[in-house]
Amino acid sequence: MKSMQLRLKVNGESQEWTIAPGDLLLDVLRRESYFGVKRGCETGECGACTVLVNGKPINSCLMFAAQAEGCDVLTIEGIAQGEKLDPLQEAFLEYGAVQCGYCTPGMILSAKALLAERPDPTEAEVREALAGNFCRCTGYLKPVEAVMAAARVYRTQAATPQTGRTSQKSKRKSQKSKPREGL
Amino acid sequence: MFDHIERFYRPTTLREALELLRKVGSRGRIVAGATDIVMQADRSIRFLVDATHLGLNYVRRQGKGWAIGSTTTMAALEHSTVIRALAGGILAKAASTCGSIQNRNMATVGGNLANASPAADTAAVLLALDAQVMVASSRRKRKIALAEFYLGPHRTVLDGALLEEVVIPALPGGGRMGWSFQKLGRTKTDISLVNVAAGLQADASGRIKWARLALGAVGPTPLRARNAETLLQGNTLHEDLLTRVREAVMQEVNPISDGRASAEYRREMSGVLARRALRECAAQAGCKL
Repeated sequence: MKSMQLRLKVNGESQEWTIAPGDLLLDVLRRESYFGVKRGCETGECGACTVLVNGKPINSCLMFAAQAEGCDVLTIEGIAQGEKLDPLQEAFLEYGAVQCGYCTPGMILSAKALLAERPDPTEAEVREALAGNFCRCTGYLKPVEAVMAAARVYRTQAATPQTGRTSQKSKRKSQKSKPREGL
Repeated sequence: MFDHIERFYRPTTLREALELLRKVGSRGRIVAGATDIVMQADRSIRFLVDATHLGLNYVRRQGKGWAIGSTTTMAALEHSTVIRALAGGILAKAASTCGSIQNRNMATVGGNLANASPAADTAAVLLALDAQVMVASSRRKRKIALAEFYLGPHRTVLDGALLEEVVIPALPGGGRMGWSFQKLGRTKTDISLVNVAAGLQADASGRIKWARLALGAVGPTPLRARNAETLLQGNTLHEDLLTRVREAVMQEVNPISDGRASAEYRREMSGVLARRALRECAAQAGCKL
C-alpha cells in the first residue's frame, strides 16, 4: 500500500503528515494526538467527531483525510485563546452542559460555526445547529442555554474593543486559528 | 477500515478525472462528499478519484433553465438564493433534510443521485422538475433524462462515467404554479420512509394544465406516478379527484418492508403524502378545493 503526504493547517498550525490513501480524517487527527476529536458511531450520525473544515462543521469519520489537503481544520484543542477558554467553553461549564463530556467538543464546534454565521441566533436555530450532535447524558436543554449565553458574550465582546486584555501569545493564536470561509 | 485503497487521486480538470477513471476502471470510484462511500466500505475499491476540485461546485441560470454542478453540496443548495427561488424552493427544502448539518456540508447533489438510493430526497424533486443529468466519460458526454438514469437500487446507467451536471429545463410558463415537497421520516433530517415532490400548473379557471408527482423510498428507484399525473391533467381539482389520485399513487408505488417501515405503511403513506402535496400545490396555484 502506498502512502501520501497531507499538508493542512490544524488549529492554525501548518502540518505535513504521511497518511495512507484510505485514511479517514478522524483516524489521522487522533493518531496525531488531537484526542478532542471523539470516535463515536463512525457512521456520521452522532457528531462526536465533528471538526470545522474551512469553518464548516463536518463529521470527520466520513471524510477521507486526503480530502483535507490545503484545508484549515479546527478542533476543540484550538478554540481556547492560550489559557483563556472560549466563551462557549465557559458557558458550557457555567450552565452544567457537560456531563460525561464525550459529545461536548462536537457540540461546541457546531455552535462555534453557527455563531460565526449568526451572532444572534434564535433558540430554534441553536437546536437545529446542534441536531447532528447527540448527547446521551444531560440532554439538550443545558447545551442550548449555554450556546445562547455564549452568543450574548460574543456580541458584547464584538461591541467592546478589547485593548490590553489579551496577551500577545493568545492574540497570535486567535488569529491563526480563525477558520477560512468556504469548504 | 480503508487499508485496501492504493491511491487517492485529486484531479483538477474534468479531462484529467475522466482519464483517471478510464485507467482505474471498475476498481476505481468517484468520491465527492464521501458520506455514502465511507458507509458502504466496499472492499473492491482500490482507487479513489476526488471530484471536488473539478470546478463543478456551482448553481447558475442556463437560458430559461438551471444548471447545478454535481459537487454542489446539500448545504449550498439549501442556502442558494437561486435554488430557493426555483419551483417554490422545493429543491432547497429537500436538500435541507438530507442528514445533519455536518453531513449536508459534505454530501453533494451528484452523489445523492449517483448513489441511487431509492430514498434520495433530491431525486424525487429533480424527477418532478424533469431534470436531466450530464454524464461524462473519457469517450463521450451525454445528457440523460433523470427518469432514464436509474436501473434499480444503487444501480444507474453511469457504468464508471462521471455525473458532471444536473440540468433543470425551463418550467412551464403562462399559468399559476404550485409546488410541494413532503417527507416522512423519524425526524426531519432522517432517511425518508416516503418522500413526495409535486408540481401543478393551473389556468385561470383552475383547470390543471400540467402536473408532476414523484415519489421516493417506495420502489426500487425514485419514480414518477404517471397514472396519477394523467388523472390530474386537464381536470379541475376536487376532493373526489384527490381520492382517485391517492388510489392511483398507492397502486403505482412498489415499496418493500424493512427495519424502518412495512410495505403496507409505506403504500398508505404514499397516498397520504401525495394528497397533502397536491393540497399545498393547489393552494399556491389558486385552485379551490
